[in-house]
This record gives sequence, C-alpha cells and structure tokens, in this order.
Amino acid sequence: MTRVEMILIMGLMAFAVRALPQLFFVGQTFPKTWDRLLRYLSYAFICSIVSITLFMTGVRFDAEAASYRGLALAITIAIARKTKSPVTGMIIGALLVLLASRLR
Amino acid sequence: MLFSARFRQGMRAAGPILIAFVPSSIAWGIAAQARGLTLQESLLMSALVYSGPAQFAVLAPLAAGKSALQVLIAGFVMNLRFLPMSMTLAPFFRGVKRLPLALASHVVSASSFIVPYLQFEKERDSNATEVPTLDGNGNLAFFVGVGATSFLVWVIGTGIGYGVALGFPPGFEEALKFILPGYFAGLLVVEMRDRVVALVCLASLLAAVPGALMSPGWGWLITAVVVAILGWGLEARK
Repeated sequence: MTRVEMILIMGLMAFAVRALPQLFFVGQTFPKTWDRLLRYLSYAFICSIVSITLFMTGVRFDAEAASYRGLALAITIAIARKTKSPVTGMIIGALLVLLASRLR
Repeated sequence: MLFSARFRQGMRAAGPILIAFVPSSIAWGIAAQARGLTLQESLLMSALVYSGPAQFAVLAPLAAGKSALQVLIAGFVMNLRFLPMSMTLAPFFRGVKRLPLALASHVVSASSFIVPYLQFEKERDSNATEVPTLDGNGNLAFFVGVGATSFLVWVIGTGIGYGVALGFPPGFEEALKFILPGYFAGLLVVEMRDRVVALVCLASLLAAVPGALMSPGWGWLITAVVVAILGWGLEARK
C-alpha cells in the first residue's frame, strides 16, 4: 500500500469517527439525568485535554516543566476568573511560562 | 441570528485558537519535510486527517515504511477521541440536514469542540428561564466558523512549514504550548457556576496524566469517563 493510499484511508477513518455520532445523535434530546451525565463528560474531556496538552509531550510526562506550567495554569485561572477574560489570563500565563523557561 | 452573522461570530471566537494553530501547523510541515514526506502527502494528511496528535503519531512509522496496519491502527486510536466530542455536539444541531452536518463534522477537533460547546452551554444557560429553543442551523454556523477557520490555518500552515524552515527562540515553544490549554482553562472558569462541575474539572485535570501514562491512547479518556460518572453520582446524592 502506498503512503497516499494510507493517508486516504486514515482520512476516511477519521471522518467516520467524526461524522457518525453527529448523524446518529443529531438534535436528540436525552432524558434530564443523561443530559447531566453528558455535560459532566464534556467538562471532564475538556479538562483532560487541558491537562494532557499542558503536561505531556507525546507519551512522556514533562516532569521538569510541570511545576511552572502548573503554577502558570493556576494564575491563568485566577486572573481569568477575576477579570472575566480568558484571553487576559492566557496571555499572562503564557508570559509567565516564557519567563520561567528562560530562567530555568 | 443570520447564518452569516453566526459564522462570523465563530470566526472571531477562533482567534485565540489560531495563535496556537499557526506555529503548530508550521511545526508539522517542518517535521513532515524532515521525515521525507512530499509536500502533497503533508498537505493531504493535514486536509484529510486534520488531527495534530494523530499526524505526529503516525509520521515516524509512515515515513519509515512500517506496515499499513500499524500506521492505520495508530491513527485510528488517536482519532477515537473525536467520537465523544462529536456525540456531545450533536444535540445542539437540531434540525440541520444530514449532508451539511456530515460535511461540517470534518472540522471537529479538540479546539473546535471546546469553544463552540462552551458557547452553546452559555447560551443554553442564559435561555434557561425561557422556552428552550435550540437554533441548530445557527449553532452549526458558529461551529463551522470556528472549525473552518482553524482548518484553513492548519492546512496553509502545513504548506508554509514545509517550505520554510523556521526556528523559534529558546523558550518560545514553551509559551506556545501553554496558549491553547491556558485559553481553554480560562474559558471554563469564566463560565463555571456549578460546584459539581468544578469538582469534575479538578478531578479530571489531576487524573488525566496518570491515566495517559498507564495507557497512552485510552487512559485519559477512561479517567475522564470515570470522573464524569462519579460527578453524576455525587449530584444524584445531593
């Protein structure tokens, strides 16, 4: 199988994973208790993505950087909450991470 | 609201995502070139697979000529995370025809899931006292505004990265790595009202890394499901 063929199949598989749940569940109203579970699942996924993106590179835990990235995340959250602006929090957090990585 | 107005609203909401997408897509282009993929293959992969983690995961085996099965399974496992994301967004698209829905689903990614989902939740909460009306087409326009903008930047960035070898100053990658999770965390706390949701968020934030270390493909998904079920049980006890 050529590389292009593999990429095409991979694309089709990715499309199926994305499209099928949408086509199957579109506009469905779940019972209230299931709706709450789905909501908790969404928040749990979002926070897990935040954690994985921030603290891991591939399959490796970035132990050396975890402390200052974690601190920057906490400060970002506090500032975003206080100012009601996620962008302000994100900018300050990114600057802190930049500073910490230079000082390291 | 008009479809075009909602679409533009989505495009604007994609702004902070693009800050992280531009360098990531360029980095992918550089990596693909370094591993010996052609420009067409790199662009095709960005356009069809459209998933940074999956693309990076299969790059080495693909370039090294490993078995097709190995490459396809690795890509499939990495992309399975789109399944719950897509399922979660689906109820917000009530009344949308299947063809546009199927086409739009191609731009589902972590970013184009999180930003629209939080926006829809905010709108749903603000309409809680009124008759609950879900504007499926308007929601789709917002979602496509976020997703298509990010998708275009990803594909164009791949081409630029392939052609131009860029070197970031030391430490700059660290700040770039922080931008998306920092923005998502900020979005979450601004919208968060519920204590159980806060607990679920904190627990999944802490559990995801150990989960991923135990099982790189599935671990964090499993811990997220477990934490969500525990939160659900906690709410039922209240």
